[in-house]
Amino acid sequence: MSTQYSILFKQEHAHDDAIWTAAWGKSEKDGSETIITGSLDDMVKVWKWSDEKLELQWTLEGHQLGVVSVDISHNGAIAASSSLDAHIRLWDLESGKQIKSMDAGPVDAWSVAFSPDSKYIATGSHLGKVNIFGVESGKKEHSLDTRGKFILSIAYSPDGKYLASGAIDGIINIFDIATGKLLHTLEGHAMPIRSLTFSPDSQLLVTASDDGYIKIYDVQHANLAGTLSGHASWVLNVSFSPDSTHFVSSSSDKSVKVWEASTRACVNTFFDHQDQVWSVKYNSTGSKIISAGDDRAIHIYDCPM
Amino acid sequence: MHVHSAIHLLMTSFSWNRKIGEKVSKAAVQQFESQSVKVEDHVELEEVDWLHAIKRRREILLDDCTTKSKRLKDEGEQLAEQSRHWEAVRKWDEAIQLTPEEAVLYEMKSQVLTILQEVFPAVQSAEMAVKLRPTWWEAWQTLGRAQLNLGEIELAIRSFQVALHLHPIERMLWEEDLRWALHLREEKRAVQQETAQHLSEEIPELQQDYEDFESDEVIAACTAIAERQKRACAMTMN
Repeated sequence: MSTQYSILFKQEHAHDDAIWTAAWGKSEKDGSETIITGSLDDMVKVWKWSDEKLELQWTLEGHQLGVVSVDISHNGAIAASSSLDAHIRLWDLESGKQIKSMDAGPVDAWSVAFSPDSKYIATGSHLGKVNIFGVESGKKEHSLDTRGKFILSIAYSPDGKYLASGAIDGIINIFDIATGKLLHTLEGHAMPIRSLTFSPDSQLLVTASDDGYIKIYDVQHANLAGTLSGHASWVLNVSFSPDSTHFVSSSSDKSVKVWEASTRACVNTFFDHQDQVWSVKYNSTGSKIISAGDDRAIHIYDCPM
Repeated sequence: MHVHSAIHLLMTSFSWNRKIGEKVSKAAVQQFESQSVKVEDHVELEEVDWLHAIKRRREILLDDCTTKSKRLKDEGEQLAEQSRHWEAVRKWDEAIQLTPEEAVLYEMKSQVLTILQEVFPAVQSAEMAVKLRPTWWEAWQTLGRAQLNLGEIELAIRSFQVALHLHPIERMLWEEDLRWALHLREEKRAVQQETAQHLSEEIPELQQDYEDFESDEVIAACTAIAERQKRACAMTMN
């Protein structure tokens, strides 16, 4: 157990071009930890994290353009990836084989997110619709309309009650999943929201925007609970730690910042990347953080527990 | 279909006013404005503190550079709008001497260098713009267009993708820039395959991976096709 924040591992040249997205999953079956990354080089890579190092397991080919978003199902068995050409692909992580390929239609897929029961994948679209695909069927099964602009970011609340979307014009929408009703529309930011994340208890929603701010909302009452500044440029990604104590952000300013949820203070800044950091995620316990970005490197950090 | 997209490309490449007027200068003007406010602030701080005074003097000099650079930038824009392209480039080069970190200057210069068919300098200038402001999608679009003019299809496709990743709601990037670049790549591949097949029929020893096949002949054929299409478009437009 570490007592302070430190960089633990660097995988230089993990892809042939910028890394735009990363996810960290844990297999329910054998407890092994899997990291997947998606890049402008059109590839999705699957890495095993064991003995404090990364080992490339699969290079998944198929996307014709850059890979915008990846996610791992909650049992750790399936990965989803989406590319600029709006194709969503599902992969079996054990065999490295493609399970399904879904063409969402022109510009109709951006961020992908598994539902908490991993039966669905939600993705935003350019017309402001949240499209929900069945993992089993490989087809679009539901659609939620924000009546807004291009949806860049999407998140399910861990309790399965809410779905939040962040749009390119800075608007946040929160849906009730059971009824499909739009619960709240928040004029959160004046600029694109590239990432949002719920706290593990589903009470808070944290948003990241090109305006350089991170905002925290109380989900139930749709109140703004805090505005955090610290990044010198766009905030590209945010992620909550599974133990609820912290969340982490990454930015175009090349840094990764860890924030304490209770005080809303930045408790650590990593300045280890050479370029914009597009993605940042916690592992399943909150003891590690992964970041990846334009410098093609994957970094793993140790967090004090 | 081909001719159709080509016309669009030509139109977008050379619609200088659209970019200058609406988008390019807005951010720069704001930046310049915020910097010129600083000048006034400093004037109020009159004190006989020499160390301070020297520091202040340096800041005023910097502000001076910014103001002069902005003037040169505006003059360049006016010249470019009157199609006095080389004069515009010279104004912007002067401005770059004063404010070498100003990405907008390189981006505008790249557009005009493209018009002047200075294909390689146009790429270099746009590369500077994206280096200075990597989150500015328009600079990536300009870089992609310059790379396409140089025949660097793969690099152009990459630049357009970066632009789209930053700003996916720009229809022109999807429907014209990226689509056209992908189309050119397909044509190039088709020509490569054809040439390879042709050669391997004549010289069976050459039977090999078509994918990796690359020769001056292929590049010449591609260039010829692109030129022919360009000319066809220009004629249609007239």
